[in-house]
Amino acid sequence: MASSPPYTYIQCPCSNEEPAEGSDASSPESDSFHDAERTFDPRAPRSNYSLYPLEYLLYCEECQQIRCPRCVDEEIVTYYCPNCLFEVASSNLRSDGNRCTRNCYQCPICSGPVQVGEVQAEPETNLLSADNATAAPHGPYALFCQYCSWVSSEIGLEFERASGIPSQLAKMKNGGIPRITAKELKERRKEDPDMPPLEDELVDAELQYSALRSFYQSQINGPSNGLPGGLSLGDGHNFSSPAALTRMMSMWQPGGRGAQGKTAGPPDVFPEATDTDKGLKLAQLDESAKVQKLLNGGWNETVSKDQLLGQLEHAHFQDELRPLQCVLRTKRSRRCAVCRHIISKPENKVASTRFKIKLVAKSYIPSISIRPLEPRAPPVPVGMRPQQPQEPPLKPLQPYQYILTFKNPLFEKLKVTLATPNNTPGRFSSKVALLCPQFDIDPVKDMWEDALDGDDRSRTEETGQAEAGKIYKRGRNWVSIILEVIPPLLSVDSLRPHTASGEPTDRSPLREDEKILEIPMFVRMEWEPEAQHDVGDRVGKDRNEGQKRELAYWCVLGVGQISHE
Amino acid sequence: MSRRQVKGDYIETETGNKVSRKANLLGTQNMVLGGKVVIQPEVMIRGDLVRTAPSSSSSGGTTAPSTTAIQTGRYCFFSKGVVLRPPGRRYKGQFSHMPMRIGHHVFIGQDTVVQAATIGDHVRIGKNCVIGEFAIIKECVEVLDGAVVPPNMVIPNYSIVAGQPARVVGEVPEGGGPEENGLRGLYSTVGNNPQNPDM
Amino acid sequence: MSTAKRQSTVPAGPKPPVNFSSTVTIPKDAVLQGTHSITIQSETLIHPRARLDSNLGSILVGRRSIVQERAQIGVEPQNIDAAVPGGVSLGDYVVVEVNAVIEAGGTEIGDGSVVQVGSRIGSGAKIGKDCTIAARATVAPGTVLPDQTVVLSNGQQRADKRLADARKLSTLKQINVVRKMIRNDQDKFK
Repeated sequence: MASSPPYTYIQCPCSNEEPAEGSDASSPESDSFHDAERTFDPRAPRSNYSLYPLEYLLYCEECQQIRCPRCVDEEIVTYYCPNCLFEVASSNLRSDGNRCTRNCYQCPICSGPVQVGEVQAEPETNLLSADNATAAPHGPYALFCQYCSWVSSEIGLEFERASGIPSQLAKMKNGGIPRITAKELKERRKEDPDMPPLEDELVDAELQYSALRSFYQSQINGPSNGLPGGLSLGDGHNFSSPAALTRMMSMWQPGGRGAQGKTAGPPDVFPEATDTDKGLKLAQLDESAKVQKLLNGGWNETVSKDQLLGQLEHAHFQDELRPLQCVLRTKRSRRCAVCRHIISKPENKVASTRFKIKLVAKSYIPSISIRPLEPRAPPVPVGMRPQQPQEPPLKPLQPYQYILTFKNPLFEKLKVTLATPNNTPGRFSSKVALLCPQFDIDPVKDMWEDALDGDDRSRTEETGQAEAGKIYKRGRNWVSIILEVIPPLLSVDSLRPHTASGEPTDRSPLREDEKILEIPMFVRMEWEPEAQHDVGDRVGKDRNEGQKRELAYWCVLGVGQISHE
Repeated sequence: MSRRQVKGDYIETETGNKVSRKANLLGTQNMVLGGKVVIQPEVMIRGDLVRTAPSSSSSGGTTAPSTTAIQTGRYCFFSKGVVLRPPGRRYKGQFSHMPMRIGHHVFIGQDTVVQAATIGDHVRIGKNCVIGEFAIIKECVEVLDGAVVPPNMVIPNYSIVAGQPARVVGEVPEGGGPEENGLRGLYSTVGNNPQNPDM
Repeated sequence: MSTAKRQSTVPAGPKPPVNFSSTVTIPKDAVLQGTHSITIQSETLIHPRARLDSNLGSILVGRRSIVQERAQIGVEPQNIDAAVPGGVSLGDYVVVEVNAVIEAGGTEIGDGSVVQVGSRIGSGAKIGKDCTIAARATVAPGTVLPDQTVVLSNGQQRADKRLADARKLSTLKQINVVRKMIRNDQDKFK
């Protein structure tokens, strides 16, 4: 995405389709008329959300309209791990979560990828003798980050095998302490029914959660345990369970609740967990150990916000962080939010870069490029290319001329009409003039026609001069015209005390984006689709044959920086 | 590769590669340039760091028959000051460099150091980046200026990565895919008879 | 396309007094210049186009170290006012990677440290043993880093708890392989 001038952003029309404007919405013609009358302000706060570089825009053939990332709906085609590039079936997603269950981990410190490696890389050979590497021993293994030099043995995580890290990691807490799972606890309990409940320190979030879950599960499934009252207190916070839903439904059935009472189903009041086995864990209010650690370790021992965001459990110190399983990525198709047609669909396979459907705006609307007519920056030496020449800032109140080049991506002749406000919107308004606001661009020819026509240079018709009403240059499928601007004086003192409408002028200091000369431009294009050449090769061809199509949109030309003292 | 032109700042080969005379290419016999490749001044390519890995002899002294250390596809563009260096690691107890493979239409910006294992087609790497050893960059990826891609990182198709260490910060939009790379145009702007960059 | 024919482009500065161990590998297109002495100890490997500049002080490169291409050692400090006189001293098993810059001025780098691609060590910094200066990281002039410190590109520091010897072994193995690929031309510098 280009961010320094020159650039061209295109406004997606979706931001104008406001359902709130009831009076206009009924008649689309008047609406578009209304649009054309109004000047688009690229600095308006809302414009931020509707301006896109051409590459980011799609095109819906059915609606014949530009579609931006905000007015398309996405659907997931494929899930895959960005590290091992394995596709994950969506059924696995339900059981395993949205993380890769292979050996794909990220460093908890720097988010870089980690590799499995042996902790004792090689036996201590005498370094100053020779490289007589003996047979490599096996294990223990650890995760190594090549970027920040983190190693999982720092936090006591070492593995017996190099494969199946997730299952090994699941059984281990930081520090290498074995983690007690709910299953193990159950078995232990079976062997020794009199075993006292675990100490709170040994209960981690996962164990607590499973205890709580089984505790409440047993109540939902079990018969009503006769808590009197039957007050519907519990209903309030159990909407999520399907049982609650059926219960609520039964309330609406005639005579449902009153007549049948509560014969079966879960009780209305759930008792709370009262001991560790049921999932009770008392808050640890004694934080003296943590305070002590903070005193010893200092700032560097604590976790940063970024590090914490990746973690499943809250952590205070670096050594509490756990290696992160890679989060899966997706390939997504996009639908037009209005007509529901798919306008972009990648191939399913992870390795493929191709698309089954791809209707991008740049194959429907002309690309616009800007360059100065008389470049003031010295040309970039060949050896330094492709560096962008840095144009010096524009001097206020001096005319500058730019070449706007429109390139036609269609196989049809394109009729383009442009309009810009004479003065750009905003406190400091530049004077703008398009020397030739109306022109035709020849179509893209396929290779055969092109070859038969011979060298395209012979057909170029060059004015080569900035003349009003004339095209500057014309090529095979492109046209250049001249844009003239006079940048304003960027001084708050030079502003008139009152605007045209009589309101007092905003005299606040110069804002950052006011230094950039941005010109709103309205583009209206017209073409007659030919059936045999239709670009998209998609539906709706016959219907449009012989008909004129048109498309109109606002765009913003970022021309350059305006200098100020 | 014969020299078509004796004079000029670039050596232009029969396959259309344009190599600046101010580039440092070492071990050219171990390099395969895919044609229409541009190598700008002060680019350094370490073709001499060849793979020695399958040296079966226990002494580890004999180098394997020299293989291709660096291979590029068509229309690659290496800007001024780029360093391409085959990655090296210990393999079965021995150190060896491994070949680097670069796809078609790959652009690498100024002063970037690349030690990747693979770079896919249509990848664009900005300036002042460091691509760590054995990184695998898949197709149509964009690496923004100043990024440090950690060693062994895998970057999937259509990712935009940035930062130190690099992480995926976005996706290349549909309209910015393979065909819109501009390297053909860029190719014509360098060499002994360069065209103007505009148009 | 060979570049071997035009090595005359290397600037013909004053030839510094050098002191090489016989086991040092240094190709002829490494650049050594300056007026103070440059000492390179045994089994150290210098890559082509590495640049050692002793104009501001003597340079010592320890044993079994690697200086990669385009690394610059003994560069004039960015902030010349704050600079202290002196050279650069690298310990044993030090790896200075591509495009790394080590400023002169009593700068010291301890045994087993790695200065990664494109990083910059300020004048007079004292880097401990087995440190890692990550790619494109900067160490400010005069910084003193304890042993086994990792400096990341964002300036963050952390302690490296890996076994340092494994890395030294890697360095050694790398030297033993790569020295055969680089044509040694010690005599050019003597």
